[in-house]
Amino acid sequence: MLTGLAVVGVARFLQQRQDFENATARSYQVEIAARNRLAAGTHPDAARTAILAQQHKRQTLRDNIDGETRDTALLVGAGLIAGLTGAALLFSGLISSMRRPLEELVDASGRLAAGDLETRVKIGGLSETATLGAAFNEMAAELQRRAGERDQLETMKDEFVLTASHELRSPLTSVQGFAELLMLERDKLSSKQADTVEIILDNTRHLVRLLNDLLDLARSDAGRLTIKPSPTGVAPLVEDAVRTMRSQTEAARQTLHSEIEEDLPQVSVDRDRIRQVLVNLLTNAHEYSPEGATIAVAAARRNGAVEIAVSDNGPGMAEDQLEHIFERFTRGDAGLTQHVGGTGLGLAISKSLVELHGGTIGANSAPGHGSTFRVLLPAGQVAPGEPERVEA
Amino acid sequence: MGRVLIADDSETILLLMRTRLEMEGYEVVTAADGVEVLELMQRPGEPAPDILLLDAMMPRKSGIDALRELRAAGVQTPVLIVSAHQDEMDAGAATDVEVSGYITKPIDFDRLFACIAELTGPGPVT
Repeated sequence: MLTGLAVVGVARFLQQRQDFENATARSYQVEIAARNRLAAGTHPDAARTAILAQQHKRQTLRDNIDGETRDTALLVGAGLIAGLTGAALLFSGLISSMRRPLEELVDASGRLAAGDLETRVKIGGLSETATLGAAFNEMAAELQRRAGERDQLETMKDEFVLTASHELRSPLTSVQGFAELLMLERDKLSSKQADTVEIILDNTRHLVRLLNDLLDLARSDAGRLTIKPSPTGVAPLVEDAVRTMRSQTEAARQTLHSEIEEDLPQVSVDRDRIRQVLVNLLTNAHEYSPEGATIAVAAARRNGAVEIAVSDNGPGMAEDQLEHIFERFTRGDAGLTQHVGGTGLGLAISKSLVELHGGTIGANSAPGHGSTFRVLLPAGQVAPGEPERVEA
Repeated sequence: MGRVLIADDSETILLLMRTRLEMEGYEVVTAADGVEVLELMQRPGEPAPDILLLDAMMPRKSGIDALRELRAAGVQTPVLIVSAHQDEMDAGAATDVEVSGYITKPIDFDRLFACIAELTGPGPVT
């Protein structure tokens, strides 16, 4: 209300100011006329009196207008203060009515981002915040629905792979078994027939490997890939894997040598699984290296861990290939893979297996300079100060 | 000496196993599921096998269920469970039935013969 008064006051003041200026101007005109008369010498006394009267009149006008100015200024000031206070009160009410729903939205967003897809906000407050809240709830519901669909699909995929792997194994058992049966009577076959059976066997074994790898990955995805660790010496582990590979590397006239540091601590591992990892790495080294190449396995102590490194002097990999090497169905140069018999799953499985053991796996390579794959396994539970046991 | 009872729901696999085992000199009896295994084991006049090779998963009665019933009836004959994959073995191992060993499919026959020989004493003279 005071604001309204201030507006009226200011309007009235402007009118008075106009009146004051007009009156002052008229007063100057009268005084100038009187001064002209004084200069002309006609009725000098009357002219002097008129000049003084006009000067006095203007002084009175100025005093009046100064008073009005002060009053108006006070009025306007009061009006402004009142207006601002009112606005502030109104605004703070607006702010607080927006703040609670907004705070709730911020909290809910945090929960949603942290994975609580069931989170929802109460819808209320101003229409804008209510709209925002409703939109948030819709978004959360949609996210929850999609996550549910995805989980369901994942489960179906895992079940499918497990079932398919089981169903495929029976016919594969027959194919492999009967082909082996034929090979037992190889001397009764022509050399062409024997070669044919050999091809059937090779491909069957490849299918079995693929099936085993797919099964391992499905188990890994379903969180069902398990290990049975027990204290194991590193040397027998490496030697076992090397022995498994020996006939293949010799057939390719490749040199396979191992260098195992003495007095290595034991590692707590699932022997079959780590052997699988090492055979995977050695198979890659063997298959990607040319005839006559050298493949090296080295086991050494690295702080509280044991590192097993498999190196080859094969074609190596560029940086961009190296980045994806542990992903599924990723293989080295396509031109090379023509004669490479792997499944493209070996490194992905190896990574899962090593990580299950609390270890890490990594690779170094450069084109033309071969590749080195390093498996780092935590040393077995040997209490500090206790002498480390060494495999006899 | 050297009588083997094999059970599998696949006739082809039964034929394969029978052929390989007979080539090694074993006498072979076959069953299509766990129910048939129990019938054969209880049939009067039927000579008892020296070892049983049971498929883990079979219709009507699985190898593991048949094994459980045999052990409950006091049969101590060695039993090898043949299964398609590790998960089935884990399921079998989880039940506290006494199993002599596990064989995975596809069957590694050299390993199978080694297991049989180990469990039944020296293999048959061929």
